[in-house]
Amino acid sequence: MADLSADLGFCTLKNPVITASGTFGYGEEFLPFYDLDSLGAIVMKGIFREARPGNPPPRLHESPAGLLNSIGLAGPGSAALQEAIRRLHARTPVPIIVNVCGGDDDEFAEVAAIFSAMDEVSLLELNISCPNVNKGGACPAQDAGHTARLVQRVKKGIHKPLIVKLSPNAADIVGVAQAAQDAGADALSLVNTFLGLAVDLEARRPVFANVYAGLSGPAVKPLALRLVREVCLKAYVPVIGIGGIASGRDALDYILVGASAVQVGTVNFYDPAGAARIVAEIEAEMVRLKIKSLSEIRGKLQA
Amino acid sequence: MQDERGLIEESRDLGNGYHLLKVAAPRTAEAAKPGHFVMVRILPALDPLLRRPLGILDARPPYIWLYYQVLGSGTRLLAGQRPGDSLDILGPLGNTFPELPGQRVLLIAGGRGIVPLFHYARTYGERRPLLLLYGGRGKADLPLLDRVRSLRLERLFVFSEDGALGQQGRLSDGLEKIVRDERPDVTMSCGPEAMLAALATLLKPFPTRDLVLLEARMGCGFGACQGCAVRAADGSYRRVCDEGPVFPMEEIQWPT
Repeated sequence: MADLSADLGFCTLKNPVITASGTFGYGEEFLPFYDLDSLGAIVMKGIFREARPGNPPPRLHESPAGLLNSIGLAGPGSAALQEAIRRLHARTPVPIIVNVCGGDDDEFAEVAAIFSAMDEVSLLELNISCPNVNKGGACPAQDAGHTARLVQRVKKGIHKPLIVKLSPNAADIVGVAQAAQDAGADALSLVNTFLGLAVDLEARRPVFANVYAGLSGPAVKPLALRLVREVCLKAYVPVIGIGGIASGRDALDYILVGASAVQVGTVNFYDPAGAARIVAEIEAEMVRLKIKSLSEIRGKLQA
Repeated sequence: MQDERGLIEESRDLGNGYHLLKVAAPRTAEAAKPGHFVMVRILPALDPLLRRPLGILDARPPYIWLYYQVLGSGTRLLAGQRPGDSLDILGPLGNTFPELPGQRVLLIAGGRGIVPLFHYARTYGERRPLLLLYGGRGKADLPLLDRVRSLRLERLFVFSEDGALGQQGRLSDGLEKIVRDERPDVTMSCGPEAMLAALATLLKPFPTRDLVLLEARMGCGFGACQGCAVRAADGSYRRVCDEGPVFPMEEIQWPT
C-alpha cells in the first residue's frame, strides 16, 4: 500500500488529485459516475457575486490533444452557488474549494468573504488568471504588483487558507508567484489556460468572439510542467500543479518537479470518471515504482 | 446515463460521407428514448480529445444505431472503425421528445436531422399514425429514404431541392400547406439551423406546439463544461446537452 496523502501544510488531502475549476461543474454533474469522496478535493466552477451569462457561442474549439475554451465564466452567482455547495456537501464529504472571481478587487474580496464564512467550504482559490473575461485575455495575474495588492486585500477578509491560481500568460510567472506568496497566499496553483488563437480560414475571422481563448488538455503538459518546476524552485508555500494531466504518471511528473498536489481538468470532459481513474493509477504506479509516499519523490527531479 | 464499452457490429458507408453504425451497447440501448444522444469516444486516443455527440437513430436492445456524416477528424476516425472494434459510449444523454399520446404529430426532418425523428417514428409509430416531412438537397443527402419508407407512418412527404426525390423544393416550401391540410397538434423538428430558423417563422401563425432538437459541438455532454450554449429568446443561454437537446421552438433565439 502506498501512502497517497498530500500534505499542503495547512491541511492534508487524502490524495493529491483535485478537480480543476471550470471542468467539474458544481460537482453534482459527476455524482452519477463515481464517489467524489475518492478525490483529494474538488474545485467549484469560478464564481462572481452576480450571475453571468458567459460568452456567446462558439465556446469550444479542439486542437490536437488540446481544447480551446472561451466559456467566459458563465455562472449562477454567489447565492446560487452557496445553495449548490450545501446540496453537494449533504451528499459527499469531499473537501470543497471555491474558485473566487471578481470584475474588480472589491468583488474578489466580497466573494471570498462570502465563501470563507461557509462551514461546508474547506479552501478558497483566487482566480486571478482567467483569460476569457477581458478582451485580449488580460487578468490580474499578469502583474506582480496587482497580484500582491489583491491577495493582501482578500486575505484581510477571510479566515480560510487561500490558494492563488496563476496564469501562464504572465511575462514572469515566477515573479508573480513570489509576489503572491509574499502577500500571504497559503498555496499557489498553476497553470490556468494558455492564451491561444483559432481562426476560421474560410471566413477569415477568429473562431471566438473574444478573439483569444484558453488552451488546455494534454497538449499543454510539457509547457505547464516547465512553469510549475520554475515556480517550485522559488516557492516556500505548497504548489498545486495543473496542466494536461490525463494519467497517474502525468500527475506523478508534477510531484517529481515539486508540486504537493495536482489539479485535473480537461480529462473530466472526455472521461467523466477520469479523476478517480487517475487516483487509482497514481497508486498503481507508486506500487510499481516502490514509492511509499509522495514526499519521497516530491521535488526530487535530478537536473 | 452510463459509460459503456460498445462493440461495433456493422459499419456501413452510405455515400456522400454518411455512415450508419450498429453498435452492441445493451445498457444504453435499453435506456434510449427518442431524442437521446450519446457521446462517443474511440479509445485510447487523445487526438481527437473530445467525445463526439451522436444522435440515436434507433435502439433495439442490445443494439443502437448511429447515423452520422463525416465532418471532421472525429467522425473521420469513427468511419475507419470496423466490426469488432470497440467504442466508449456515454449515454443516453439529454432530454427527449415526449410521446404525447392522442396528439397528432408532424415530424420535420432536414438531412441528417432525420436521426431523432426516425427514432420517434420507430418507437411510437406503431401505436398511432404519424406524419413525416423529410427533405434534403438531393438524393445523396437522403440515403436513409428507403428505411424511412419502411416506417409505419400515416403520411410521408419528401422534398428535394434538385427534385430527384419527392417534390422539388425545400421542405419549408411545402410546410404551410401540409400544416393547413393535416392540422397537426404538435410539430417536432431537427435539421440545419437555417432550416429550423425558417420553420420557426413559418410555424408562428399556427396554433401548433412546436418542439425542436438542436445539434451543437459539445465538450462533455452532461452539463459540466457549458461549451454547448445556445442563445435563448430572452437573451440568456441554454446548454444543449442538459436543458436540451429538445426545446420549445419559441424558447430559442433564431438567427435572422
